[in-house]
Parts: sequence; C-alpha cells; structure tokens
Amino acid sequence: MPGTILENLSTKKLSVLLSVFLLSQLACFLLGLIAPSPARTQTILATVCVDEDPLSSRDDADQWFTRQCRKTVNLEDPKATDGLDANNLVFVAEMPLHGLDYSRWQQNLVGILQIDMYYQKEQKISNPLVELTLESRLAYSDKTSNGGKTPWKYFSHAEEKRYMNCSFDENANRGEGYQYECTMVSLFELGSLFHDYYLLNLRLPYNSTSNKNTALGRIHDIYLHTIYMNGGFTKVWVSLKTVFFPILVAIMTWFWHRVHKLNRTPVLLEYMLITVGGTLTFLNLPIEFLSLFFEMPYMLLLSDIRQGVFYATLLSFWLIFAGEHMLIQDTAERNTLRKYWKHLSTIIIGCLCLLIFDLCERGTQLVNPFYSIWVTPIGTNLALAFIILAGISAGLYFFFLCFMVWRVFKNISIKRSVLPSMSQARRLHYEGFIYRFNFLMLATLICAAVTIVSFILSQVDEGQNKWDETMDLELSSVIHTGVYGMWNIYICAMLILYAPSHKQWPSDVACTEGEEVEFSRIPNESTSNEISALTTFSTKANLD
Amino acid sequence: MPIEWTILKRNQPVSIYVDVVMTLTLCFLLSIVSINLTVAARRQQTNGTWMRMGLLMDDRMQNDRGFPSCKNLPGLSAGQRRLCQLYVDHMGAVAFGAKHALTECKHQFRSRRWNCSILNDSDAFGPVISIASRESAFAHALASAGVTHAISRACRDGQLTSCGCSRTTRPKNLKKEWVWGGCGDNLEYGYKFTQSFVDVRERERKFKRGTREQGRVLMNLHNNEAGRRALIKKSKVTCKCHGVSGSCSLITCWQQLASFREVGDYLRDKYDGATEVRVNRRGRLQLLDPRVTIPTAYDLVYLEDSPNYCVKDEATGSLGTQGRVCNRTSPDIDGCNLLCCGRGYNTLKTVIKERCQCKFKWCCQVECKTCSRTLDVHTCK
Repeated sequence: MPGTILENLSTKKLSVLLSVFLLSQLACFLLGLIAPSPARTQTILATVCVDEDPLSSRDDADQWFTRQCRKTVNLEDPKATDGLDANNLVFVAEMPLHGLDYSRWQQNLVGILQIDMYYQKEQKISNPLVELTLESRLAYSDKTSNGGKTPWKYFSHAEEKRYMNCSFDENANRGEGYQYECTMVSLFELGSLFHDYYLLNLRLPYNSTSNKNTALGRIHDIYLHTIYMNGGFTKVWVSLKTVFFPILVAIMTWFWHRVHKLNRTPVLLEYMLITVGGTLTFLNLPIEFLSLFFEMPYMLLLSDIRQGVFYATLLSFWLIFAGEHMLIQDTAERNTLRKYWKHLSTIIIGCLCLLIFDLCERGTQLVNPFYSIWVTPIGTNLALAFIILAGISAGLYFFFLCFMVWRVFKNISIKRSVLPSMSQARRLHYEGFIYRFNFLMLATLICAAVTIVSFILSQVDEGQNKWDETMDLELSSVIHTGVYGMWNIYICAMLILYAPSHKQWPSDVACTEGEEVEFSRIPNESTSNEISALTTFSTKANLD
Repeated sequence: MPIEWTILKRNQPVSIYVDVVMTLTLCFLLSIVSINLTVAARRQQTNGTWMRMGLLMDDRMQNDRGFPSCKNLPGLSAGQRRLCQLYVDHMGAVAFGAKHALTECKHQFRSRRWNCSILNDSDAFGPVISIASRESAFAHALASAGVTHAISRACRDGQLTSCGCSRTTRPKNLKKEWVWGGCGDNLEYGYKFTQSFVDVRERERKFKRGTREQGRVLMNLHNNEAGRRALIKKSKVTCKCHGVSGSCSLITCWQQLASFREVGDYLRDKYDGATEVRVNRRGRLQLLDPRVTIPTAYDLVYLEDSPNYCVKDEATGSLGTQGRVCNRTSPDIDGCNLLCCGRGYNTLKTVIKERCQCKFKWCCQVECKTCSRTLDVHTCK
C-alpha cells in the first residue's frame, strides 16, 4: 500500500532531514545578519527657489530649477517674500544628497512630503483638513563617464491633490513658534531606480477661483523623505532567491517524477503541492537581475503579484490539506477542486480584491508616479471597499480553516481511543504517523506564529529611537531573510515528506491476519485514490 | 598662546576690580582668597565663547567669499579651531544654531528678571555666563541644542557633505560595500558633531579633581548633554509602510525635528526645575541637598546661586530690571510686583495701532485690518 515518505521514513532519516532543514534555516537567519536593514530614508530639505517668470517656465518643459538656482528665499523671514506670490516659489529637491548617486540595486523609491506649517495666532487655518494642490515635475540625469552629470531630462509631470490633516493643541501651553501637527503626504512612488539622479520641482500654486491651496497656513519648510531599498539588502535577497530557485526546481522535478512512476494519476493534494512549489519558484525567480539592465517600472507591481499568487496558493493548500485529511464526505469520485469551491472562493475573492486595488494604485503609477488612489473620495471609498472585502474573506477563510483543522483533530482523537484495541505493530505504526502528522501541523503553526511575531517585532523595532551604540544588529533584515527562508524550507519539506513512497508497508506483509476489518477498503473507493494511509484512516474514522 | 593673551587683556577691568577689592578688604584674608579663586576660575572661563558666533550676521557667514576662516571666528577654543578646520562647511550651521539659541533664549526669558540680555562682548551674555548659575546652565543647554538642531537641519539641506552616510569615512567606499545601508540619521549626526564640537572646550582643559573649575567643567558637560537630549526627546518618530500593496510588511521610520520653540519651552521647564549640585573631593558632582531626586541626563544642574538681577551690577553682568515692561495683573514672575523687585512701577497710557483680523494668503500675503487700542504700559522704577 503506497503512502507518503513521511510515514515510511525511519526516525533516524527523519531527524537527519529535519536537522538539515534547521541548519538551512539558521543559515538564512545568519545571512540576514550581514545584510543592512531592508530600507532606509534620506530626508531632503527643499530649497526654495524663486521663479521670476512663472508663465514662461510653465511652457518650457526643459527648464529645471536646481539647488544652485539664482535666487533662493527663506520662508521663515516674512520680509524675504515681499512681492512674491505662490507661483514664484519652486521647491527644489535633488535626490540623493551628499554627493551620492542611486544604484540600480536600490530597486525603488518612495517620496513623502512633510510640510512644516507654523501656527500664527491671528491667522489660524480654517479647516483642519487642508487640501493641497501639488504641481510636481520630476527630471532625471545620469552619470557620465568622466564623472559629470548629463543635463536634466523630463521624467514625469502631474498636478495632484492631496489631503493633509493638521491639528494644533492650543491648550497645551503652545503658541506662536510651534508648528501644526500635520500628517505626511505621500508624493510619488518610482517602481525602478534606473537613473542616477532625480530632481523634483514642486510648486504649490494659489488660485482663489479654482480653490487651489487656499487653506494653507504659513509654511516654513518642506521636507521630502525618500525611502529606498538598500542595495546591500537587495543583493542578499536576490542571492537568497537565486540559491532557492534551482533547489526548489530540482525538488519539484524529483517529486513529479516520483508521482508519475506510480501506477495512478496524481491526486488533488499532489497537484496542490506542485502548484505551491510552482508559485514559490515563480517568486524565487530572480528577475531582479533584469532591472539592472532594463528600465522596469512594473517591478513593484510584478513583485506584488508574485507574492500575492504565492500566498493565495499556500492558503488554498492548507485548506485542501486539512480537507483531504478529514474527508468532507466520502464519495466514489476523486476529490477535485470543485469540492472546495466554497472555501476556495474566499481566497479567490480576497486576492482578486487586493489585485484590483493594487492594479488601480500601482498600475496607474506606471504612467503617473504621483498618482494615489486615496485622494478622491470615490477612490478612497473604492479602495476601502476592496480592502474591507478582502478582510472579510480573510476572516471567513480562517474560520473555515480552523473549523477543518478542528475536525481533523477530532477524528484523530476518536481514532486514538480505538488504538488500544489494535494489534501491537499496527498501533505503533498508527501512533507514529499521527505523531508525524501532528508534528507537521505543528510546524505549520510554528511557521505562521514565527512570521506573525517577527513582523510585529520588526514594527516595534523600527518604531523605536535607535540611540544605543551597541545595538548594531539589523533585526528587520534578519527577520525578512529568516522568514523568507523559512517558507522556502517549509515548502521544500512538504514536497519531500509528502512525496509518494515506493516502500511497501512492512505490516501489510507481516500481519494480515485478523486485521482485514481494520484495513478493508471503503466500499466504492478505488485503491489508487488515497494519498496516504492517514486519509484512509480518517475516512474509516468517519465511517466508524 | 597669543590669542589667549589678547582675550585675557580684554578682561582687565575685572582684574582691576578684584585688585581694588583685595586692597580694600585686607583684613578678611580668607574671603579674599576665596574671591580670588573664583575670579581666577572666571578668568579661565571668559576667554570668550563660541556662542558669540550667533551674533555674526548671516550674510557675513554665507557671503560670496565663502566662509570666514577659522582664525577669524570669535570665541573658539584650540580644539574647536581644529574641528573648524576639519569641518569648515559646518561652521555656518553652528553660527546659525547659536543665533537661533540666542533668539530663543531672549524669547524664553522676555518676562524674567534676567532677560537673557545679549551683550556684544566676548561672552555674548556678559559676565553672567561665567557664574555657574541656573542661567548659565540654561544658556549652555540651549546653545548645545541649537547647534544640534542646526547641524541636523543643514544635513537635510545638502549643505554638509560628510553627514548622512558618514559611518564609514567616505561615501565612495561605503557605496561599494552595501549601497547606503550605513546611512545614519541626521539627528544622530547632529548629536555626535555637537558632542565633539561643543564639549571639546571643556575636555581640553585639565583641572585638579574637586576644584571649582573642575566642577564647572562637569556642570557644563552635563548641561550640554541635557540640551542635546532635549532635542532628541522632542523629536518625533514617523513611519511609513511600503510593503506588498502598501502593507506594513515593510516599514521604515525616521526622526522628525521639533520646532526649536518646543525645545526652548522644554528646556525652560528644566531650568525651573534645575538641581543645585557641588563637586566632591573625588571630582564628581554631588547633590547639595540629599533630599531632592538625583538629576537625570535630561535635567539641568548648577553650582552657584544666581546673582541679584534686580539691580544693575557690572561685575556680575546684571543689567537690573529698571525700565522693564511688566504685567500689572500677573502674580507670576512677569508681574510688576516680582519683576520690579518691589520698587514699584510707572504707568504710561499709550495708543497702539496693530494688525488685526488677518487673513493669510499663501504664500506671502497677509491681509489685515488696522485696529487701534489704548493700552497701559507699566515699566519698573
């Protein structure tokens, strides 16, 4: 009777395999130690340039203001801005600062605006929700071979609205000289950092008829916070992927080869396993290398989709894994995906919602990097609707999953009470594989728990002030590589341990006497149908 | 050391005064010795302070000819001059920070007996700062905070080449390693630079343990640190999620500088709750009154009582409160009763015209009406 490798593996071999997994897990954590944190910020204080002739520069697409512009003003000094109006001011941010240049390893760039608006006793803002109209233009430039810069070239341009929530606590003994507590405003998101330098020219035009920037208070400074991936982290990350990719391909080939050697068509769980492996391979495929040579602004979207597909199949796999070990009903036909349509639809709906949301936001950003879905009320409602729908389906999914797992465990415990009445050899055998099944369930739970806990840890860790000199350890990159490695190892383990075994059950040959009842086939079920003895076992439990 | 010499010469009036005192009060030998010691300490202190850089005009600091050379900058100690030569581009920010601190000091003390009077002498504050008083503690902390603030801000402005990714020596080498993974926070850089620049003048002078001078050094170091920490304490951490679909699987945080007024208010509270300490024989600061709580690194400490700021006294640098505007109804320190030290006040009825019902139009226009109202102005006798 064919079973899976997990059931037929000797404890010695299993422990060897497990220690190999643990060692590679340790290696993944250690790899994270050498990497810098995944992302960092560079804060740029915008230089305020004076555009003497705003009308003509509006038409001229190739006129750029840089930090070396002819005339700058200090907005803190009210006298300096005499005679100027909003159209004269250009906020210039050159990215990056400090004589650096972007590397293509840095993958992507997020720009966030911080607007320092100062409180004036006589000129309070009328509405805490400030509507901003931002006219932003991006240019790029590259390094030349002799160390210079190519002239700035047009990259993108948009006039966008943003909302900023500002508050001021007048009771807390505050007055002039304090700034409003305003929320940050996300400005742009570049899916690829193909060029070496970028330049932002930002204007906040004033127009009372079209209601542009009429609610603004006195601004002193505008900061641009740029978030980039660390090149070092990308290198470590991509190398991790490059290592896992061929390993996983090899394991998948071996698995599929083994399944095909059997005298039967593959069962659902085997299809699911190979699909999960496939999506993980797709996720592991190091296409990041291509972004070093080609401009690929769709990389962000692509990596979102790759991750989404993997999560979706992994979630479906758990569901079907639990379902196949419980047997919702015992029918003659082979189990197909159709049987799980109720449960799977939660995943499909959830993922579709997130996909549509992502396509709306990041898809549009391919064309206009300044786009944000959250600005217009319709967009916000739509985005919220999608996210809430995804959340509901996630909740439903977990309800289904927990219910199924609970039923599996109930079946097992029912069978356990029957165990003492079995013969010695058979009992030991059953106990062994119940233990191994529980062990793998436990592994899944541990993996999930480790993931959740580590991400919470990384959030807490990031949110703290880091002033301790001795803490030079990058927790968040350790967490990222560790968790990524963990799921890879988990899938590898599943593929290896749940591959069909070619061994015959020793007990089948040894003690057939008196145990036929225990192992007699369920009526109408074909021999090649089950994937493991546990399936048979739990089916029987159901019948009992 | 020719520079030290010229500065010492400038302080001749103080020495002459001391000499007069000495000759007049020969019989109180002991007290004379003690005064002499204090003055010796003061003389050491008053070789000018770098805070004077804040009095330089901005345009002088950032003119076309570039930055004035380190030799021409006022009040730098030997170690600070060395740092100045290493980080010439930082000096504009240091001057800006000092200026900010002086302005803020004036604002915080506008209605106190000591109104943070800035004098155009080598100390910027006059002899007041050479007394190890609360006011001196506050001035040191505020100046230190001001420089940290200005350096951090200048980093973000792109003026300073060495900040940001300065954990290793030069960005070039670093980039090859881990492409900017080592970039620290600007605030951290500001903190570290200020630590070396402001504290070096205290560290380069060596005094015998347990002496007043050594106590003063410890006090200054403590208050400088308190100032820097005040800035850090008031800064805000802001985070942004940028993981899959904008989820928080990836989160990045950074420090946001508070407005300097907020730091000033915080330090003024610390000034009000400053702790008096003394230096013990082992050369450590010790509580004068063991019942009070031990000051933390965020608290201010001082060694001497404040001089009497009520009356004009050139020796201590007090300008007196005569002629100061006070608030008749306030029971606090800005009230006429306390501010005028019980001498009474004059009242003058004036009509003032001021802007009212203003409407702000981004970016640069304020539309106001003019209102006039009569006001009683009280000034101390």
